[in-house]
Amino acid sequence: MSNDRKRLKVGLAAGITAFALLLTGCAGSGNSETPKSSGSAATVPAGVDTNVVNYALPPNATPNWILPIGIAGKMATHNSSIAQSLWSPMFTFDGSKGEMKLDLETGIADKMEYAADGKSVTFHMRDMHWSDGTAITTRDVEFWFNLIKANKETWGGYKEGRLPDNITNIDYTDEKTFTLTFDKVYNQDWLNSTQLTSIKPLPHHAWAKTSDEGKVGDEDRTAAGAKAIFGYLSKSSEDMASYATNPLWKTVSGPFTLGAFDNAGKTTLSKNEKYDGPDAAQVTTVNLLPFTSSDAEVNLLRSKGIDYGYIPTSMIDQQSQFESLGFQIEPWKGWAITYMPYNFNNPKLGNTFKQLYVRQALQSAIDQPTISKVIWKNGANPVYGPVPQDIPSPYLSESQKNNPYPYDLEKAKSLFAAHGWKAGADGVLVCEEAGAAENQCGEGVAAGTKMDLTMMVQSGSDEADKQFAAMQSSFRDIGVAVSFDRAPLNTVLNRTAPCESDAPDCTWEFSYFGAAGSWYFPAYPTGERIFSTGASVNFGNYSNAEADKLMDEALTTNDPKTMQDYSALLAEQLPVMWLPNPVYQVSVIRDGVTGTTQDPTANFFPQRWGWNK
Amino acid sequence: MSATTLSRPAPKSPASRAARQFFSNKLAVLGVIIVVALMIFSFIGPLIYQTEQVSTNLLQADLKPGEDGHPLGTDGLGYDVLGRLMVAGRTSILVGLAAGVLATILGTLWGSVAGYLGGWVDATMMRIVDAGIAIPGIFLLLVISAIVRPSEWMMILIIAVVSWLVPARLTRAEALSLKSRDYVLAIKATGGSNSRAILRHIIPNTIGTVVVNATFQVADAILLIAYISFLGMGLQPPSTDWGAMLTDGISAVYSGAWWLIFPAGIAIVLIVSAFNFIGDGLRDMFDVRGRS
Repeated sequence: MSNDRKRLKVGLAAGITAFALLLTGCAGSGNSETPKSSGSAATVPAGVDTNVVNYALPPNATPNWILPIGIAGKMATHNSSIAQSLWSPMFTFDGSKGEMKLDLETGIADKMEYAADGKSVTFHMRDMHWSDGTAITTRDVEFWFNLIKANKETWGGYKEGRLPDNITNIDYTDEKTFTLTFDKVYNQDWLNSTQLTSIKPLPHHAWAKTSDEGKVGDEDRTAAGAKAIFGYLSKSSEDMASYATNPLWKTVSGPFTLGAFDNAGKTTLSKNEKYDGPDAAQVTTVNLLPFTSSDAEVNLLRSKGIDYGYIPTSMIDQQSQFESLGFQIEPWKGWAITYMPYNFNNPKLGNTFKQLYVRQALQSAIDQPTISKVIWKNGANPVYGPVPQDIPSPYLSESQKNNPYPYDLEKAKSLFAAHGWKAGADGVLVCEEAGAAENQCGEGVAAGTKMDLTMMVQSGSDEADKQFAAMQSSFRDIGVAVSFDRAPLNTVLNRTAPCESDAPDCTWEFSYFGAAGSWYFPAYPTGERIFSTGASVNFGNYSNAEADKLMDEALTTNDPKTMQDYSALLAEQLPVMWLPNPVYQVSVIRDGVTGTTQDPTANFFPQRWGWNK
Repeated sequence: MSATTLSRPAPKSPASRAARQFFSNKLAVLGVIIVVALMIFSFIGPLIYQTEQVSTNLLQADLKPGEDGHPLGTDGLGYDVLGRLMVAGRTSILVGLAAGVLATILGTLWGSVAGYLGGWVDATMMRIVDAGIAIPGIFLLLVISAIVRPSEWMMILIIAVVSWLVPARLTRAEALSLKSRDYVLAIKATGGSNSRAILRHIIPNTIGTVVVNATFQVADAILLIAYISFLGMGLQPPSTDWGAMLTDGISAVYSGAWWLIFPAGIAIVLIVSAFNFIGDGLRDMFDVRGRS
């Protein structure tokens, strides 16, 4: 072997270390303190232009749709947030003010009243105007309804049986009042948060035409006319190069107008000086900056090119470093839960997973508070049930909130011991008492079944790797052996699907895809898509008739107790293994920036950002 | 003229001459000292400095050096870093040595058979080697690591499978030269079998090349383990090696947690350098051409 090659090898070895050492040498001393709240009260740094806020969009999140009626593939939250800052909705239902709730103070609706029978709702609109001075009226609401009725198959928010199918009549009482009648009584929170928030008055006087030079008319009142108008508007929305110049998009009702839009997706919002609603912009310009990677974003953040950005969760313990640069770190909690499904149809261990005591024992061996604090550096929060619990809400039961299965290894061991499991020579539990009696392993669990589990885990997250190493250690202490099958997120998701036990692809036992949260809910967090019998995203084939009934009722009753009962039931029944829920993003906000209360449903509100003057 | 008795030193054996040659290379001696020291550290150290390296302890996580009786602090899972360095060293050295030796044995057998037999056998066998060399080893390693669950034995096998190609080429070149020597021709003339010629004459006479290459193979293997682990495809926790420790430490670089990076990084540099120094010394020892 040549000396050159040898030198190269030594050089490579030295290189790995030198690279690491160099980085270490460059690093300041860090700590793992709990992140503090927004730096809104801090003084504005010298030299900052207080008329401008620069906001970093998530990696690869390039705005690509401006029409406030989203279509499939264009429903990303950054698109809807931008549209919402240009065209105000009737009202919002989100957590943008610190709590998940109905917000009638910032939209076009001044008031909404449900009829006593709950089958209809009446809206009263504020006296507001389009940016060209025309009044916003119920004709603009009718225009929106006409467009989505005629184009519901194209509208990304459509699901059969829901808006507009579930509305039997719309009565436009006058220019500022209209009433919607539903086909049956629905839960009002569900209606408000998932259905009625979609309503968005659109400028009939400017958009009801089928070409740039076309004449505005009432063609939207026929299905064919509404289709033609929608086709024209959609085509215009596909022409991203003309966003900033197309006169269509100049007629707005929101706190901003579109100032500029470039090919890379950089979007400049300019204050709408004609806006006369209650949610006016605080600064004259907001720049929404796109990035191809979080590394690129962090680099610009360090050079102070961003006022409101983010860092990867793995950097959350570098708080002091960013504070010394004049930023505050504020985790953005998501309206989400994180969990790992059990495959109840797994041919080897499915029957074992069906035993509640097994799930209780495993859940009792997960120290979620410590994992959240030490491993996620408070960038995740414990989850004990099916309702998001990072944000206060009326849907959360006391049982879920208080964790029915706190970390207790002795209890976990005793649960197994009481059901006929004994440790083998290798320390791993084996079922010795097969049978369905109280002191036996349970129905369908064969004698000799070993608690030797394989968890399919998404790769690429340092925190997730550490979390599972800690879980593996705790499980080992109670006699449960765990090994991991690591794969990229898309591979894990492809291999995780509801299956029958005799299917060849049903061999997975557990699947973790939650390094950025497993499931993000709409504002009303019913779990029919993930926990109801036969649901498409009920990966593990969990089935519980009582839970199914509660989930159905939750859509049609107004009693919040139904959601609380559902929360308590699944917190206790453990349809999945509950795990710490990582934040949506770790926001890094420049000192002096105000109005950054972060909406758990991941929308952003540029009109509320400003500087502490 | 008086009779003078000239006292001549007794002729030294080839072994002692070789040893003297080796020990005259100071870097080679340093290499031996480092390897021995790291072996004592990794294999005997855990018997003296006993720490928990299986169960995590999150309440003891991220302690700085000296805190709570941990001379090199703890990592993000509460493992004592000094103890972990010992356990990791055991894996790195053991897997590196075994994989290096296995790759050398495989390569030596393959190369000597190809070189001695020649003809279409040589052509076929060496095209396989050429094809193997054309595929980047690290790529193969990552693919195989993704398919099979990495254990220590599996790592040894995987690394050996991608590392035997270079010794095969070297040995084949030697075999081509050796097979025309008289003593090899004599074997053929007396009806000796090919296997006898290869095992008794070809391979023993390539020993210099093989041994020198073996040291580099070990160094290579240790680096490969580090690479795989650094890319997150290495051994499953709670097992670890120096490369895996370095990976865990990288996430802490901006936090200034030097104790998670320096020790493992320095250990890798030391062991790889030491094996290269030893290989250098061995080459000098076997290489008579450059000797004065």
